[in-house]
This record gives sequence, structure tokens and C-alpha cells, in this order.
Amino acid sequence: MKPFDYAAPASLDEATRAGARAATRFIAGGTTLVDLMKLEVETPEHLVDLNPLADRDPSLGTVSELPNGGLRIGALARMSDVAWATPVKERYPVLSQALLLAASGQIRNMASMAGNLLQRTRCPYFRDTATACNKRDPGSGCSAMQGFNRSHAILGTSERCIATHPSDPAVALVALGASVRVRGPGAQPSAERTMPIASLHLVPGTHPERETVLEPGEVITAIDVPPLPFARRSLYLKVRDRASYAFALASAAVALDVANGTIRAARVALGGVATKPWRSTAAEQALIGKRATAAAFRAAADAALRGAVPHRDNAFKVELARRTLVRALTEVSA
Amino acid sequence: MTTPPTAPPRRDAAECCVPDIGSEAPDFELTDRTGRRRRLSDLRGAPVLLAFQPSHWDPSWAECVRVYDRMLDFPAMCLDTGPVAERYGVADGAAVFVIDAGGRVSWRHTAGDAPPSPNEIADVLTASSPMALDSESSGWSRRHFVATMVAATLALALTRRVARAEPAVAHQRFATAIGSGETVKLRVNGRELSLDLEPRVTLLDALREYAGITGPKKGCDHGQCGACTVHVNGRRILSCLTFAVMQQGKEITTIEGLAASVGASGGALHPMQQAFIDHDGFQCGYCTAGQIMSAAAVVREPWGPADDDVREAMSGNICRCGAYPGIVAAIQTVRKNPATAQRGQR
Repeated sequence: MKPFDYAAPASLDEATRAGARAATRFIAGGTTLVDLMKLEVETPEHLVDLNPLADRDPSLGTVSELPNGGLRIGALARMSDVAWATPVKERYPVLSQALLLAASGQIRNMASMAGNLLQRTRCPYFRDTATACNKRDPGSGCSAMQGFNRSHAILGTSERCIATHPSDPAVALVALGASVRVRGPGAQPSAERTMPIASLHLVPGTHPERETVLEPGEVITAIDVPPLPFARRSLYLKVRDRASYAFALASAAVALDVANGTIRAARVALGGVATKPWRSTAAEQALIGKRATAAAFRAAADAALRGAVPHRDNAFKVELARRTLVRALTEVSA
Repeated sequence: MTTPPTAPPRRDAAECCVPDIGSEAPDFELTDRTGRRRRLSDLRGAPVLLAFQPSHWDPSWAECVRVYDRMLDFPAMCLDTGPVAERYGVADGAAVFVIDAGGRVSWRHTAGDAPPSPNEIADVLTASSPMALDSESSGWSRRHFVATMVAATLALALTRRVARAEPAVAHQRFATAIGSGETVKLRVNGRELSLDLEPRVTLLDALREYAGITGPKKGCDHGQCGACTVHVNGRRILSCLTFAVMQQGKEITTIEGLAASVGASGGALHPMQQAFIDHDGFQCGYCTAGQIMSAAAVVREPWGPADDDVREAMSGNICRCGAYPGIVAAIQTVRKNPATAQRGQR
């Protein structure tokens, strides 16, 4: 691992200023960053530890009620604490399930919610500095395109990158329409902004190295989940190679508002198949106004996967994602 | 900080006995790798490499020299401390001698001197070879390659002696070369530790390599196996995926501190440790410390009652021996017994 210097700023102001320097990384749970630093995929010269900020401002590490009936999740809240928080379990089961199906018990105790959103891809070529990767080394080429690409994305891809976004909770959060509160260096309130998580992540396009719209020094301070009463009937279904402790081959986050057998509102997002947490408004539109039947679910799944671009080893994901979504919708409406 | 250990007494008084360059090498008899008794003088006609190193420094060293014996164009011998070493004046140290074909010392390095340069030893070994120089187009012969490799290893072995004699100095040089080593205070198993660490030292490495607490194991070092699981403020985490500098001011518990955490029963095993024994929750044992630390925390987490819930909760701890049935049984026993289900709280 490359040497670096370490700082634990006493305030958010200090942290954002320190974070705006070149070759600087923020660290929270560390479960992605430390791993990638060992691989020398990440080689920061300065590390800014955000964890002590939660000691000064507990709201940064906890779940609290919003006046509008939604929830505010502090950026430094740990995955396990959020998964088991009563309001999350009762009002947003899709998020609780997505969290508990991600990683392992130890990692969920360490990993922060904001860090989970910002984790890097698990593409094996990205993680291997001996291979070409446009995301790690812009312009060097994409080894996955002609390589072993079974785990790679079929939605939101480009000629430059087909790496999958690995997060489960992010998929649940985009389905719920959650947003992130962001704080940058500089004077308040101009240094603060809020954006939907759906606009936080970028598809690779011609610049796979740019994964989010965050600017240097900007930190996520909270995730706001809006009130969504029908999300009490929501579900996260994850399909993977092992029964537990594996990244998704395909996953679906769904919530349905069904009255007298007719779907009044729907939320659909897919994981494990796209370059960013993938909300499918096309699938949602295909469901609204329809009877909650297998045929309607299948039509929604077709809509969600329209435009999918498979590669040599991951063509199976097109049908796997469809079936995952159909089963999730079937289970949540049962 | 601890004071550096004092260097062992040196017996440089034997300096008079170290054979000079050009002098006749003291003769001796020993058993070679084919089991034959041979005298050094029997080997005249070819150069001989003599390497002295006390075997307690590195047991693999003698084997290393045996491998070189097969690769070099002349015999290599590794000798432990003993009467032969005394005759060469290196009774308590590491040393290398090259004896020429005429039985005279053509080169020597004793550990009392500065560490040798690999180039110097390589040149000596190459020059001592009875074969003519190869003239490959690259100008780099196999023999030169072997000599360089042997030289580098010898230099390393001899340098290590110097490093061991002066651990504090060696460490200081290292720290200066690569950045700031700062004092990191960790509270482990109820004890305050003050360690001189760089920021890039993980909690796992700090515990194992700097504090000598080797219960947490290094399996994958990438957060995939769970062997390094410890508790921080009572929660299970992976010590390989966090930097020690980030864990200051927290209560860290390793398997070494688990029994003690039961408190009043002083020294008795933690119920989870006992349950792993009772249910054969391990075979080779490498993952066991991590399994038990994980299990002791799982008992306090809000999992459902089924065996499948235990399997899911424990999926971050891999066991290559496949002791899973015993592990699940051990955890269920602890969870189902009201007397033990609440224990293990720090």
C-alpha cells in the first residue's frame, strides 16, 4: 500500500476543505477503500477520516424522522443499524432487506450508508492494476469488453465501460425516490445542495472514471427518504451465485400500491445488471392501471429490459433480470 | 515506548581465529547431503562456499543453502554454530567464506562488519566458478544469474543479523524513509497499548505484528473470509479493513480477551468458546478465533431463531474444513440457554 497522511478533522468545514485537495480521499467505514488501497487501485496521498464527526454531531450517524413523514439517514449511519431500525423495517422493508442481503454482518457493522452509495465497482479488471481499465486508468481501454464479462452490466453501458454498480441499498433507495444532502467546501448555504440519488450516479458514457456528480471536497451528509405509504408493501429480491455474502447477478427492488386488484402506483429498480442503480420508470408505467397479474408483471419486465446490451458471457442476465423482477412483483403483491 | 532489547553479548574475542584471506582454511569433517562423511580438504580442486548461521535465526536457511548446492558449480555448505564455527571464529554469528580450489580463504564476510553488498558476493562467486564464462549474446550467463541470486540471499541473511541486533535503529530508518510513524494508542482487551505506527497499518497488522496479539488471523486480508474478526465497542468488525489509527479511543476485544470479558468467573471460557469445544465447531482451527468472535456478537444481534438465520448471520466467516454443522449447533446452544444468551456483553 502506498503511504499517505491521515487527518481526522474536527468539523465538516475542515473536512470539506481538506477533502478538496488533490489526491485526497474521505474515509468512513473503509470497507471498499482499504481493500482498494491494498490493491493499489486507490492511491490517495491524503486520507480524511469522517468518522469522528458523528461523535460531535450524532445526527450524522443515526436515523431520524423528517417533518414530512419521511426519514433522514445520517451519512455515517452503519448499514446494520439502518437495516434494523424499526421505522426502516416497518415503513421501508425494501431498504431493510437490501441492506441485510448485502455484504456480511461484520462489513455491515463497519460500512457507512453514504460510503455504500459511493463504493466502487467489483469489475475484476478494475481491481487488477495489471489490466487495462478506462475507469481506473482513463483511455487505457476496457478489458471486460472482450474478456470474461459474466458479472457485467447489460443496462446503461457504453463502448468504454460495462462495469456493474455493486450496491444493493442504492437500488432500494432509487426505487423509493430518496435524495442525498451534499455539503461542499465554502460558505453555507451555497455550499449545500440536495439531489435525487437517481441523479447522483453517472452512466459511464465516454468518461467511466466519473462515477458521480460530486465535486472535490463534497461529502454526503444525509440520505432523505420521502414518505411513501405504499412502500410498506415493498420487497428486495437478490439472485446470486451463493446463498449469502455475494454480489447480485440480478436484483429487483419493488413497491406496489394495489387496490381491488388494480395497480395504482409502482416503484421498480434493478441491481446487478446496470452501471448505476437502475430505476425503471418504463416498468412502472407498464404496471400502473393494470391488474396485478403474471401477464402484467411479464410486460413490465420486458419494458425494464428493453434496450439491454448483453456481451459474450452475460446474456443470461437479460432473462434472469426479467424473471427476478416478475418474481419480486409476484411476491410483493401476494 | 518500550526500550529496545539489549543486543546479545558479542564474542569478537574470537577475531584472532577468523582465518585471513589467503590463509589455509581450517579443515573439518561433516556429512554431506548424500550422507557421506567428507573432509573439507577432500573437496580441493573446486571452490567451496561455507555459510555459517545459527539455525534458531531461520530454520529454512540450511535448506536454502542445500538448494544452492545443487545450482552452483561448486559445493555449498551450511553450518550451524558448533566446533567448526568456533574454529572459524564465528561461534555466535553469521558468516560466509569462499574457499578457493587450493583450500585457501579467497573471500570472507563476518557479521561484525557492515552488511555485504550483493554485487560483491556475486562477483566473488562468479570468479570462483571453475567453468569458463558463458558468452551468451545477452552477456548474462546462467551462472552469473545463480551467483547473483545466492549473493542476494546471503546478503539478506547477514543484514538481518544486523537488523536484529539494532531493532530500534532499523525501524527508525524505515519510518523516516516512508513517512510519519506516529504514536497510536489502542485499548485492547482492557489494556492500553502505545504503538509506533504509520497510518497505513491496518488494525489487524497492528494487533498481530506490533502488539503480538495473534488471535485475529490473516486469512484473505481483503474482507472476504472473516478470520480477522474482532469486536470494537462490542460489535464485530473485520480488523483487516480498517486502519489502526482510526480505532483509537475504542474498546477492542480479540479472542484473547473474550474469556476475561465474562468477568467474575475469572479465567473461565466464554460460553461460546465452551460451546465450540462441546460441538466440535472446528477442525484445523485457523478460522476459529474469527468464528467465535463473530458468533459471540451474533448472539446479541436481532436475528431470527432458525438454524438458517444463524447461517445467514455467520456467512461472513468462511471455514475451509467445513465445520459448519458444529458451528451452527454451538451458536444455537448458546442462544437457547437463557443463562448464556445474555452473556458476553462487555
